Amino acid sequence: VQEARERVRSALRNSGFELPARRITVNLAPADLPKDGTAYDVAIAVGIMAASGQLPDASRLAEVALIGELALDGTTRPVAGVMSLVAAAQSAGVPAAIVAAGDTAEAACVGGISILPAERLNDVVAHLAGVRELPTATPGPQPSLKAPAGVPDLADLIGQATGRRALEIAVAGRHNLAISGPPGVGKTLLARCAQGLLPPLADTEASEVSRIYSAAGLIDRRRPLIRERPFRAPHHTVSTQALIGGGPRVRPGEASLAHRGVLFLDEALHFRTDALDALRQPLEAGSVTIARVEGALEMPARFSLIMAFNPCPCGWLGSPSRRCQCDEGQARRYASRLSGPLRDRLDLWVTAEEPRHANPDGAEPSSLVAARVREAWERQLERGVANGELASRTPAAPTGLRLPPLLETLLQRRGAKFRLSPRRLQRVATVARTIADLAGDADVRAEHVDEALHYRPEAAA
Amino acid sequence: VIGVGARAAVPTRLPRSTEPDVSRGWTDLDLGRLDPERERPFWIALSLVPGVGPVGFARILRRHGSAAAAWQAREAVLESLVRVPPDAAPALRRLLRRGAKAVSHRAESDASRAGGAIVTALDVGYPPALANTDPRPAVLYRAGDPAVFDAPAVGVVGTRRATSYGRSVAQELADELARAGVVVVSGLAMGIDGEAHDAAIRAGGRTIAVLPSPLDRVYPPRHRELAARLVAGGGALLTEVAPGNVPGRPDFARRNRIIAGLSTAIVVVEAPDRSGALLTAAAAIQLGRELYAVPGPIDSIASRGCNRLVADQLASIVTSCAGLLTSIGRTSDAGPVSVATLSDSEARVLYRLLGRPGSVEELMRRTGLPTSSLASALTLLEARGLVTSYGGATFHPTLAARRIGQAG
Repeated sequence: VQEARERVRSALRNSGFELPARRITVNLAPADLPKDGTAYDVAIAVGIMAASGQLPDASRLAEVALIGELALDGTTRPVAGVMSLVAAAQSAGVPAAIVAAGDTAEAACVGGISILPAERLNDVVAHLAGVRELPTATPGPQPSLKAPAGVPDLADLIGQATGRRALEIAVAGRHNLAISGPPGVGKTLLARCAQGLLPPLADTEASEVSRIYSAAGLIDRRRPLIRERPFRAPHHTVSTQALIGGGPRVRPGEASLAHRGVLFLDEALHFRTDALDALRQPLEAGSVTIARVEGALEMPARFSLIMAFNPCPCGWLGSPSRRCQCDEGQARRYASRLSGPLRDRLDLWVTAEEPRHANPDGAEPSSLVAARVREAWERQLERGVANGELASRTPAAPTGLRLPPLLETLLQRRGAKFRLSPRRLQRVATVARTIADLAGDADVRAEHVDEALHYRPEAAA
Repeated sequence: VIGVGARAAVPTRLPRSTEPDVSRGWTDLDLGRLDPERERPFWIALSLVPGVGPVGFARILRRHGSAAAAWQAREAVLESLVRVPPDAAPALRRLLRRGAKAVSHRAESDASRAGGAIVTALDVGYPPALANTDPRPAVLYRAGDPAVFDAPAVGVVGTRRATSYGRSVAQELADELARAGVVVVSGLAMGIDGEAHDAAIRAGGRTIAVLPSPLDRVYPPRHRELAARLVAGGGALLTEVAPGNVPGRPDFARRNRIIAGLSTAIVVVEAPDRSGALLTAAAAIQLGRELYAVPGPIDSIASRGCNRLVADQLASIVTSCAGLLTSIGRTSDAGPVSVATLSDSEARVLYRLLGRPGSVEELMRRTGLPTSSLASALTLLEARGLVTSYGGATFHPTLAARRIGQAG
């Protein structure tokens, strides 16, 4: 915040105000909280003026939040994270917020507070002095939602019968999906099809997601409210910090940027193992906690995880058409990069097949699948919680998901047969619930349980 | 000579009449005149000298008359060897310093601590099938029931990097052999070997694993549990490597020779070019054992070695398990299992798989069922033990399913 001093000094001067010729102490209270960013410039400048008697009537200061950076010439500039700042002001009961004109659209996404955009410091002062009122911004019309360009369609995918179905279930129930298979069979393409299946964000979700992007400085200022579900695909060289969030000035990581959407890890076993392990917390809790000396910061991070990987370093383990070049130890070490706890959190496992023939009658396009997915979501919304979130709950905190007694027996029997842990069976039950939701069935049936068991990890390579 | 890979792999020193008579091997040695009790410590001690293998041991016996006499010759014993490794002389001096009694006593107690015993070629417990081979290992370490070596045995071998097809066939063959009362011999390796042992044990049969490692260090470690089940099931572990020996590279070539020696026939289930299983095939040919190979798809690299064995007319082709049993003069006494009640779609899936194994995608094309129905049908069939995927994308009918198929 130190640099604010020169900006404020020069902005005040260039706006035709005076800087008192005395020593100035700016106290940003509470003092024990670390502060950074440029959003305090306007407030500091106005504070100095009020303290030095250049603002005739300071009474209006009590009912407005001042958020903005100052350029040296006294114009206001947009700041990162304005949405969160305005939302904080709103929840603190402040009726209005003055923001930089460039931040208008973003700030207006937060409801319940008047947004007063100001071009220059002079405008702010004129408003506060009651000389010239700032106009109140109204939220602009949202551009209609259209599918983002470059998203592949399931109809373009060759083969992958099991993969398609597992993807549909994963997206429909917000489950985590593991796709294993040899290189070049379309694992990445399949995963990217998820984008075309995700329903748009609900209003509350949209503002949550937009605030995260606002805090990361990733908002398109012309379309500040994000409506599409995020699909994040970080490269496997990503650092743990960039994946989870953090840094000296804490920024949201990919996990938070994927909030309410999908986090896709291609070549998942090539990610740093500590980065992979760091995903356990958000997968369990739906949020990321970054601990600092000053305290812990929590950022939402509730996403569906999709992982694609080769079964071994060369990729051809178990393939009928090519010989695997790895020795057993290599293959085992490779697979062990995925830790047990992380493995446990992946609800559905599929082995991608090598496509041999084009689709016989043309495959279902994404739009048809997306319609089924949307209906399944609505059924889960009626129950209040996504099946995938139930899956993350521990046996200690039961899912509340009750299978009919007969099915519970079936599940236990299958579990004994396939040597599945109780934790895994619980996940199978939630996947079965999603399959029933996709089928439009109020009750889970035996075939849903059996289909869910088809996607168990032991059945995939 | 078998293919390119096998040619390079055939053991280079074979008993040949062109060599001087000292190397004629074991067949004309009169072992009957040796006193097993008196010779035993010296056999064990001599076998521990690096470089003294099955061939070298015979040469030493020929030159010195007995192991006891050879031991008296001290370092001169190495002169009998064709090739003396650099660590042979110091190792021999160490053994000489300790004395044959102490050395053999230690080896015996090490072997019994590992749950096994030592058998020399002079002992009655020496596997009869090996007693006809030349060269033969002078000293063997065995865990398990020696009676298993008296039963007819067939070797089932193949690559460690097996495909699901290879695993499925290995299981099926081993299962049928075991049910017909044939002992399944293999090398306990990952892949085909492991499947063969496992299926034989599950079928209630006996099986012999020849290890490339000592008894107290079963290799591969992942198959230690399998080895324990194998011994518990009346089978045996056999190895040339003394317990407590830290093996450098496991000696697969000699191990494979023993597998061939123990078996009346060898079946190579799946082997790419340059597979270790082709060494076993080469040994089988040299020892005059019957050789069978399971054919694979012509574009499958994992079956290249097998297909070549057949194409070069070195091995008889295996077209079915029943056919193999007939060829080796056995019949299966396995009856069909009771037919489980299956739904219409489950029965359709199973019927198609009995025709040919396939992936979900292929089944979709062949049955017309949607992925969701296929997935649940496959789970049910897997749970009933009628279908298995071996962790891959291709589903295979199991033996039980084949019996249902044959019955109805």
